[in-house]
Amino acid sequence: MSDALLTVQGLKKSFRRGLLSKPVDVLKGVSFEVPPGTITGFLGANGAGKTTTIKCLLGLAIPDQGEIRFFGRHELSPEVKARIGFLPERPYFYEYLTGREFLRFYGQLGGRFSASHLRDRIEKLLDRVGLKHAADRPLRSYSKGMLQRIGIAQALVYEPEFIILDEPMTGLDPDGRYEVSEIIRETAKSGTAVFFSSHLLPDAEKLCDRLVILKKGELAYQGPTVDFLGKTGGGYQLVTAKDGKVQTEDCSSLEELNRRIDERRAEKANIIEVRANRLTLEEAFVRIGMEQR
Amino acid sequence: MTRSYFHPVAIIAANTFREIIRDRILYGIVVFALLLFGLSLALGQLSFAEQARISADFGFTGIQLSAVVLAIFVGGALVSREIEKQTVLTVLAHPVTRTQFIIGKFLGLALVIVVVMSGLTLALLALVISLGLEITRAFFTAVFGIWLEACVLMSIAMFFGSFCRPMMTVIFSMSFFLIGHWVGTLDFFVEKSRSVPFRMVAGTVARVVPDLERFNWRSAPIYAVDVPIAEVIRSIVYASGWVLALIAVTSLIFRRRDFV
Repeated sequence: MSDALLTVQGLKKSFRRGLLSKPVDVLKGVSFEVPPGTITGFLGANGAGKTTTIKCLLGLAIPDQGEIRFFGRHELSPEVKARIGFLPERPYFYEYLTGREFLRFYGQLGGRFSASHLRDRIEKLLDRVGLKHAADRPLRSYSKGMLQRIGIAQALVYEPEFIILDEPMTGLDPDGRYEVSEIIRETAKSGTAVFFSSHLLPDAEKLCDRLVILKKGELAYQGPTVDFLGKTGGGYQLVTAKDGKVQTEDCSSLEELNRRIDERRAEKANIIEVRANRLTLEEAFVRIGMEQR
Repeated sequence: MTRSYFHPVAIIAANTFREIIRDRILYGIVVFALLLFGLSLALGQLSFAEQARISADFGFTGIQLSAVVLAIFVGGALVSREIEKQTVLTVLAHPVTRTQFIIGKFLGLALVIVVVMSGLTLALLALVISLGLEITRAFFTAVFGIWLEACVLMSIAMFFGSFCRPMMTVIFSMSFFLIGHWVGTLDFFVEKSRSVPFRMVAGTVARVVPDLERFNWRSAPIYAVDVPIAEVIRSIVYASGWVLALIAVTSLIFRRRDFV
């Protein structure tokens, strides 16, 4: 028996766009695992099949073929759902509810907590996502970032062991992205495993221990983030200044970067900036030859 | 804490109730019914002897139209709006089955109709008592009949709403409402007609459309006659049969749906 939180085996799903059209294969036998205690980034370009996979995981789309197991061996059931939190791609929520009513509604659906426990839990969550000040305002008055944060709070309302976030950073400004990243980090620190999808490698690079990468409905990579970045490293840029002259150098590896820093320091140059070159997902695919697939 | 099958149903029903109560369309419907009451008062003035009866008749029509509009227009959009706005994704990712979701939505609207009808019934009672109409059990039986009809129409609208576009849902549901009040007449013509195709088509229609006249007891309080309890019980069983069958088929359709 696997001790993975989530095991997906040979997942296939196709859709018809119209009654007479040919079915389009969106997932072509995807298999992967999510181990406990990790932040796993679920990456892929737009249209790679990430949202369809997540919908299949949660029973929102019915797979044509394949097996999905949670917490070792369980199929999706109301009991399993009570151990999982979910934030959909676009946070469309009941806009007539206030933030507090919204969390109470979802908290009551699980029926796991007494009324007083749920009340305390909601107050803690509102505090954690920084929305106590807006708790009694209807959701229709919330900004995109606030909706994303209240959405994450709803995903955490049952104190789940595992949360699935579909594109939690999409459409957010830099402040919003930072806030959501911090919430994800804190959630993982408290022991909840996080599985979140994104089409941006830098988002995942900063947060994730592991990556699962889809390309055109097939698994392109699964494993530790460091291994993936090791294969696809974009190198570094070192910016130094000496006698008023600024110099920028490219270093292809961490070793080269450290050697150049030592050399420039020995030359009494000032280190102005060190930056890692960020790759897009497509560039990373090109580097490791996945574009041939 | 252990939870019963009906716990999430009750939570979804309560949320549906809140959703509709906070929707402005509801108040438009109530105002329309109250205007109809006012019109009945004005028309009643034309007939000195029958004023109370005319007002009661118009009043029941106002209550019926409000309940029917709520059942068809709001009921038809109950599920489709959740799918369109994608709010269904978050709800169904929680410990709720699709059948529980459908039953909860149905009960939430049924409760709204009870509340709206109760308010309108109180207003009508005040009106007809002031005009001197004697209030008997038949008055409340007539209102109960309207609610039963609304429940059947609501389940029809939810059934069509689970796979049709909103406009088609309203057209189909309105057709069921109109034909449903003519099933008896249709049966009569089927018996009398010599045309085989007509008998086949009209006979089939009369079988697949619920007979809504079974719930029409609105003339009983106006003419001070009572509705036999056995007839009321038969109508409750008839309405329950239709509602259960339609909710079952709706949840079967809903259970096979992909939310993309």
